[in-house]
Amino acid sequence: MGRFIVRRLILAIPVLIGVSIIAFLILHLSPGDPAELLAGDEATQADIQMIREKFGLDQPLTTQYFRFIKGIATGELISMKYEVPVMEIVGKRLKNTLILSSVAIAISVIVGIMAGILSAVHRYSWIDYVATVVALLGVSMPVFWWGLLMILLFSVNLMWLPSGGMGGFRHMIMPAIALGTASAGIIARMTRSSMLDVLQQDYITTAVAKGLRQKLVVYRHALRNALIPTVTVIGLQFGYMLAGAVLTESVFSWPGIGRLIVDSIMGRDYPVVQTALLIIALIFVLANLVVDVLYALLDPRIRYND
Amino acid sequence: MTGIAKKGLYLLLAVAALSLCIAGTALADNEELIIAKSREALALDPQDITDTPSEEVNRAIYEGLVTFDDQLNIVPMLASSWTYTDDGLEWTFKLREGVKFHSGTPFNAEAVKVNFDRILNGKYKRTSLYQPVIDKVEVIDDNTVKFTLKESFGAFLNVLAHTAGLILDPSYVQDEAKNEAIKHKPSGTGPFMLDEWEQGDFIALKAYKDYWQGKPKLQRLVFRTIPEDSARAMMIETGEADIAQQIPPTDVERLLKNKKVDMKVLPSIVVQFIGINCQNDILKDPAVRLALAYSIDRQAICDKILMGYAEPVDSMVAPLVNGYSEVKGFTYDPEKARAILKEAGWVDTDKDGIREKDGKKLTVEFWTHGRDTLSLKVPQSVQAFANAVGFDCQMKVMDWGAFLSATGKGLEESTSQLMWLGWSPSTGDADWVYRPLVHSDYWQPAGPNRPFYKNNDVDEAIMVGFRSVDQEERKAAYKRAQEILSTELPWIPLYTRKTLHAFNAKLHGVEYLPLDFVVVTHESYKD
Repeated sequence: MGRFIVRRLILAIPVLIGVSIIAFLILHLSPGDPAELLAGDEATQADIQMIREKFGLDQPLTTQYFRFIKGIATGELISMKYEVPVMEIVGKRLKNTLILSSVAIAISVIVGIMAGILSAVHRYSWIDYVATVVALLGVSMPVFWWGLLMILLFSVNLMWLPSGGMGGFRHMIMPAIALGTASAGIIARMTRSSMLDVLQQDYITTAVAKGLRQKLVVYRHALRNALIPTVTVIGLQFGYMLAGAVLTESVFSWPGIGRLIVDSIMGRDYPVVQTALLIIALIFVLANLVVDVLYALLDPRIRYND
Repeated sequence: MTGIAKKGLYLLLAVAALSLCIAGTALADNEELIIAKSREALALDPQDITDTPSEEVNRAIYEGLVTFDDQLNIVPMLASSWTYTDDGLEWTFKLREGVKFHSGTPFNAEAVKVNFDRILNGKYKRTSLYQPVIDKVEVIDDNTVKFTLKESFGAFLNVLAHTAGLILDPSYVQDEAKNEAIKHKPSGTGPFMLDEWEQGDFIALKAYKDYWQGKPKLQRLVFRTIPEDSARAMMIETGEADIAQQIPPTDVERLLKNKKVDMKVLPSIVVQFIGINCQNDILKDPAVRLALAYSIDRQAICDKILMGYAEPVDSMVAPLVNGYSEVKGFTYDPEKARAILKEAGWVDTDKDGIREKDGKKLTVEFWTHGRDTLSLKVPQSVQAFANAVGFDCQMKVMDWGAFLSATGKGLEESTSQLMWLGWSPSTGDADWVYRPLVHSDYWQPAGPNRPFYKNNDVDEAIMVGFRSVDQEERKAAYKRAQEILSTELPWIPLYTRKTLHAFNAKLHGVEYLPLDFVVVTHESYKD
């Protein structure tokens, strides 16, 4: 297992180099000049040139790329928009998104797995139908619409919860639910179908025939196996949440990495976008690795020997 | 229900119960004022910023020698009075005594000199505002300072009232490390000083107790970044914000009915234009530009798309701008537009609805950006109006960065035809509309004259307005320029929109500058 993890980590290096080159090229080759944006629409050519020189934008692309890599390695990379170290701003925003995504994924895992099990165990009953409809609603509802509805109800009308911003547990409830809803729906559907598969297998019939209690059959024998595809989905969902929380972050004014990336793309803040994408790629790689390790823990038949 | 399901349900119920236990109405206390802004401030160095959100926050921390009142007249601030020589070259300012920076450093003539030496000799984003104008700044005595200009400049006081003219603490400027960090650790003479800054979330200022006009009544002033329009509108309803800026027109009616909210419809000096490339084969003929102008129903655009929160304008400058004159403009007259095009030789010979001349169709590309929904909706309506009289107007939408780049190219490279652009003169003076937008020295890429327009009479009138210190003479010069521009139309002025800000009804003493700034003073308070 140890060797497997080390090998996967080494394999991550070319992935990250690839991501850094692609992100760098897409940004630099797309139209739009950061110096023009920073200088504002009243700027003269001299103002724009001054900013280009300040951030080395007048240098050849290869020089700029290696300066970026060096900046990442030394932690000296500076945001063109905020003029603070990139790692400081990306780190802060990433932490905010991690907090939000962790709560959101916790909610979606609890709700999703619970609903999935209920649906599978009570197949074709009213519980199954209700859970299915709710799960589909969860997947289908656009997050900004669902978020605004919650704000209208819980902030404007009932005045129970703050409508946005960071500040404590109460600030997190609505954004986490909004962000976790779609994932909860997906996890519920996945758990249901894999539970149904497993519940129809012979060893489950044997377990029931042996007279084991339903609780023991469902949780000890069925759920553990049924969770393997679900864990894959959870890992991917967590990755998507990190990079794709931008709508939730906008509706709830949550200063997270998604909003930072979108704002930085619009403002052509190259160092911030490149660094943030690189870190998100790293998190994706790590999340997938964790999922693979979890497979082995869930299913004793899976072993990583090589 | 199975065990794990029950456990999960209990867990969720526990979370819900906990949240309700600690829930309460989220009302701010009356010593704190929260402003919800759509965009965040980026830096607290007034000489090195160009964005309006930063300017607004800077104005709570710093003060200039002079400032604007709510009608954009120039009024004293750190200078109590001033005189100038007849030739307009020397301006002497008498400074207030007893003013101190947040660090305790006294404000005096040396502080003013240090500030202007910094911007004139440095490489800051606003250096170009002063470098062509100011020759030198001299200390006459502790409370008197003299500016010598390179040539007389009629809008000099307006340029001093600009955010870039706010005075930084000289003890910071003269200390290399502090000067370097000034945009994140500022010190000014204003009523508020920096307390806390979470980039992307909020900037919190606290009262400066030794403020020269008296201790501020508010203890804390917070600028929160709330990018989502609807979220800002809701924050004023929940009491989480005391001022919600840039309310979308669709939310105004609802907020007007809310007694806890003072929904204000405020004047602005932003004018929205269609910029026209006057060197383009089709559009270099003023008749085509005039026909396009007559084809557009600007009143309908203001009423239907901006829901009445805008007014058509005939001049390139908004009425509140210094130097504005009323001129005769154009009205919506599609028949006249058709007649003008016909007379210019554009006729629809093949009956496909598009006019032709010498085998060339009247096809024009209209470039816009997706920064806000108005920048899509209004160009769409312009496209429909233009096509109704025989143009083949095609919209091209770019993101803001790509748009700036495409419209910012020099004449040889430029392929622009029609461009969607707005302009707000940050000095509050007509000089900073006409000079950059239509004077021939400012053709892209040297400046923002994107239409590549040149007219010697207009250039001359603009320079009379630039040099004269007689305000009446300046006004007459700009009127002359505008009268020519209204017939040649390098820019078709469409409308000036209203600024829609919602205020907490308990809030008093907060001022609004039509430059789109909310000014919280030491006298602002909440019941």
